[in-house]
Amino acid sequence: MIPDRFDKLSSILKIQLQSFPEHENYLKRRFSGEMLEQLEFCEFVAGMIFALTKDDIKTFCDDYAWLSRMVIDEEVHFRRHSRYRLSSFAEAFEQVYSNNPFMTKYMNGLLMTQLWWRNHTEVLRFFRDSFLAGGGKDRDCVEIGPGHGLLLGMTVASDGCRSAEGWDISEASLANTSKALADLGVDLTKVTMREVNLFNAPEMQFDRIVFSEVLEHLEEPQAALQALFKICRPGGRIFVHAPVNSPAPDHLYLFRTPEEVVDMVSSVGFEILDTRFEPCTGASLARARKLDLTISAAVVARRS
Amino acid sequence: MNEISRDAILADVTEVIRDIFDEYEGPVTPDLNAAKVPQWDSLAHVQLMVLLEKKFGIRFKMSEIQSFKNLGDVIASIENAQER
Ligand SMILES: C[S@@+](CC[C@H](N)C(=O)[O-])C[C@H]1O[C@@H](n2cnc3c(N)ncnc32)[C@H](O)[C@@H]1O
Repeated sequence: MIPDRFDKLSSILKIQLQSFPEHENYLKRRFSGEMLEQLEFCEFVAGMIFALTKDDIKTFCDDYAWLSRMVIDEEVHFRRHSRYRLSSFAEAFEQVYSNNPFMTKYMNGLLMTQLWWRNHTEVLRFFRDSFLAGGGKDRDCVEIGPGHGLLLGMTVASDGCRSAEGWDISEASLANTSKALADLGVDLTKVTMREVNLFNAPEMQFDRIVFSEVLEHLEEPQAALQALFKICRPGGRIFVHAPVNSPAPDHLYLFRTPEEVVDMVSSVGFEILDTRFEPCTGASLARARKLDLTISAAVVARRS
Repeated sequence: MNEISRDAILADVTEVIRDIFDEYEGPVTPDLNAAKVPQWDSLAHVQLMVLLEKKFGIRFKMSEIQSFKNLGDVIASIENAQER
């Protein structure tokens, strides 16, 4: 299903199918009709995944299979009740964040979704082309909740990045991101990782702020965006990515349309520069809207 | 079992199938299953099941959702639930 010259992508795909043969039809659909530039980007992401997983790629593929089965239970609940199962951070902490073996598998599986879920890959491509591109220099950057580290790694490596911080409330997650940045081979002298709660952030300001797949984990997403507005330098830009109708064990805030995400970003004072709505694998945007399927909403905005 | 009620259920199920699997143009018969419909992946399966639950006012068991082999199984379960 993929031309041979995309050799990293082809070999990860082969390993994934060995670990999860039932997923073949899905993955066929995932890559059917992809344009050359999309496949080239997938090959780039596959390269980063290899750098991060090394000899352990099979475990990550197994964890992706586990994750795919687990989200089915969440999907049943979501479809029946039209809401996410959890609504408070305390519950998410108890059931998910504090459960280390669960978290490890979950994070590993999520890394693989950057390649296997077309909406995730396309948002990453939009991140590169719309947010990171465009020159500039001496930019101070920060990502809140950097997780697997792909976005922070790409940020550090982008033109004009002078410094980059990674903030998270989870020590385990910070350690994971630090290791990822080292494995990706980015210039670590530019990077500072800190244990910071966004709601209690230090008085600093940044030119570029990355906030990907965190909003939907919060009880009060709008308050988080207000906090981000404060740490954004006038003229600086923010990248926000949040999924719509996307049940997961630690998702609390349900966005029902991509416009709700965009409106929330502008409601705190940001000026919207660019948006991208990417439907889940196998669906057009129109069909995703009609059936309330997952859509990833990505927004680039500016503090003027 | 009652042929007529089965046909009626199949007609309603067909409507849902046409709606959710809009790329599939083949026949909708009791032997239809996920292998024959490219859009019918594991998430779409859940979406289909819950749409059917809502349409017929019933609730499948989790174990059924995971073990239906084709539409015939689904229709039999709907028929059972309606008789109860
Ligand atoms: C799902 S991960 C995001 C992963 C990655 N950014 C991505 O795009 O896939 C969410 C992260 O946000 C962190 N987080 C949640 N609330 C936070 C807060 N108030 N301040 C800082 N980090 C927070 C969590 O600890 C977690 O590591």
